[in-house]
Amino acid sequence: MGLEIDDVRHSFGDRLALDGVSFDVVPGVITGLLGPNGAGKTTLLRIMLGVLSPDHGEVRYDGRPVNEEDRRHWGYMPQERGLYAGMSAGDQVVHFGRLHGLSRREATSRAHALLEELGLEDRWSDRTDKLSGGMQQRLQLATSLVHDPVVIVLDEPFNGLDPVAVASLSETLRQRARDGRTVLFSSHQLDLVQDLCEDIAMVDRGRTVLQGNVASLRASSSRRQLRLHVQAPNRDWLRAYAGVTVVSDEADELRLEVPDGIDPLDILDAARAAGRVVDFGLDLPTLSQLFLAAADRTFDTAGVR
Amino acid sequence: MGTWWKGTALVAERGLLENVRSRTFKIVTGLLLLMSIAAVVVPQILGGERTTYTLATAGKAPAGMVAVLGAAGKSADFTVKYVSRDKEDAVRKAVRDGDATAGLAGDTLYTAASASGTFPVLVAQAVVALETSRQLSEAGLSPAQVAGLQSIQPPKQVSVGPVDDQGRAGAGFAVGIVLYTALVFAGSTIANTVAMEKSTRISEVLLAVLRPSQMIVGTVVALGTVTLFQLLVLAAPLAVAVQVTDKIGLPPVAAGDIGLALAWFVLGFMLFAFMYAAAAALVDKITDVASAIMPVTMIIVVGYVLAISVVMSDPGGGWSVAVSLFPLTAPMAMPIRWASGLVPVWQLVLAMALTAAAAMLLVAVGSAIYRRALLITGRRAKLREVIGGRAAS
Repeated sequence: MGLEIDDVRHSFGDRLALDGVSFDVVPGVITGLLGPNGAGKTTLLRIMLGVLSPDHGEVRYDGRPVNEEDRRHWGYMPQERGLYAGMSAGDQVVHFGRLHGLSRREATSRAHALLEELGLEDRWSDRTDKLSGGMQQRLQLATSLVHDPVVIVLDEPFNGLDPVAVASLSETLRQRARDGRTVLFSSHQLDLVQDLCEDIAMVDRGRTVLQGNVASLRASSSRRQLRLHVQAPNRDWLRAYAGVTVVSDEADELRLEVPDGIDPLDILDAARAAGRVVDFGLDLPTLSQLFLAAADRTFDTAGVR
Repeated sequence: MGTWWKGTALVAERGLLENVRSRTFKIVTGLLLLMSIAAVVVPQILGGERTTYTLATAGKAPAGMVAVLGAAGKSADFTVKYVSRDKEDAVRKAVRDGDATAGLAGDTLYTAASASGTFPVLVAQAVVALETSRQLSEAGLSPAQVAGLQSIQPPKQVSVGPVDDQGRAGAGFAVGIVLYTALVFAGSTIANTVAMEKSTRISEVLLAVLRPSQMIVGTVVALGTVTLFQLLVLAAPLAVAVQVTDKIGLPPVAAGDIGLALAWFVLGFMLFAFMYAAAAALVDKITDVASAIMPVTMIIVVGYVLAISVVMSDPGGGWSVAVSLFPLTAPMAMPIRWASGLVPVWQLVLAMALTAAAAMLLVAVGSAIYRRALLITGRRAKLREVIGGRAAS
């Protein structure tokens, strides 16, 4: 069943932060909560974790409202990382394990395993303020994963990471998803996480503007472009496809925007019938392009209303 | 509620360990232990040796004289050593050379030119007393009648002051200083801990697992325990010594006052600790803590100043009663006033009950402010937006 976010609203005084956000997060899949800065992502995650209470709507887990006991089996990594400066790395992970209900012995053995997985096994007794930024980030991840949470929520986990760290964190999250955990993370760097998330929920100005499977969203987008280098005397063969618009037309490259409902392969066939196709390709929109398109649409409907 | 206590205990355990392992704790506790030991040992050394006077006599000192001076020495805490010289000149020489405090030969009492205190007076009184009783016996009085005349005493002197016992009142003054210091010190440690957790955003990680009440109670319990332990280190040797020996210069009742001071610390700590935590939760940067906790510290300072000015000068006055009953000033004013020995027990009980009730109220208010202020980051939260209505961000 996973998580259901249902019509969650929240305002800070006069400022509306969330205006009815709804989406589902399913287990075994990495879901990205995407949107620009100030879209309401952190507020939503804080509501999911019970740090804030929603004004309206609810968060359900396995079909019923989330309670404190459920959340004890969740892991949360907030956007701004917090570690006890004077505490040793290992003690810190053990402490958070115990806060989540593990016994000291169990928390200690899990902490050892986790620090080894994250490449911090020789840093057990180092004070956290003596660790590098990247190590602190991995230690923070360890504190949120030590109790093997069934739901993992991370707020902007890729912020400020180098490409190697991004790849390593992605692998850690993929591993958890493969084990059947529910993984949700937020990010404003849409294209950075394009290959990581399978599902996305895009929010903008407190509303969900797009949600679903990344691959199908990209494939079905009207923003996909067919790129052709066809040696044909003219473009008359294109007339049969009324919905297709020409983005650019140069001697060696013709760019066409193919709306949903027209199969790009049909156009390729038509092109081949008209002349020799030297090169071709289908460019799916990036997540940023999808977002811009979706956000514009929301803006339009808001204007009409 | 079992889970609530478990989480709170973990917060307290972590806070306690971090504190006890810190260098500050070791230094402060060591200093307190030294102070306490010094307070017990130094008066022992200074007052430990009994005064010894030497009396030179021509020939052996008369038995009557030895008996009278011995009795006087027992009550005034001195001993007398006797040296005998064969001739009057030798007695005189012994006093002049400093071998004896006074010399008695025939009808003459030799004293050193430099002041030799009350001893020569005592010797002279002994000579007069011996001679008087000898003549009274010769006049036919029975030994019982003579003893009766000898035991006539001058009226007892009682110095009249605003307090029962100066020594005990002095102990009360010291208790006031220690309570004031402990409250301010423990309060600012709590404030720094809270502000550190907030500024490093650990509080947000914790809030996902714990309730705000668990975080604030755990932190307060940890630091309260540490400070109470340090106060015990300071107070216990002194309280025991007051009971066991009278060389400290304090009446045994002062030991009870010290024990009572610990109870007042617990009450006063509960009263102010949550306010310190709430004030510190308002700040965003740890450097702003000092100004944020200023109002709370000012309340303690005003309470202390009232306690040492109003209460010390007139413990029985109306203002003193008011200051020692009012919950915000009672934790410092009442222990000081109590040491004057003039406080009815019902006032002590009332002051404690009022303080405890006020503490309960402030715990609730402080926790509410703490909970709401913790999530307001990036700027200093205003008190107005975390009290009443709903939280803003």
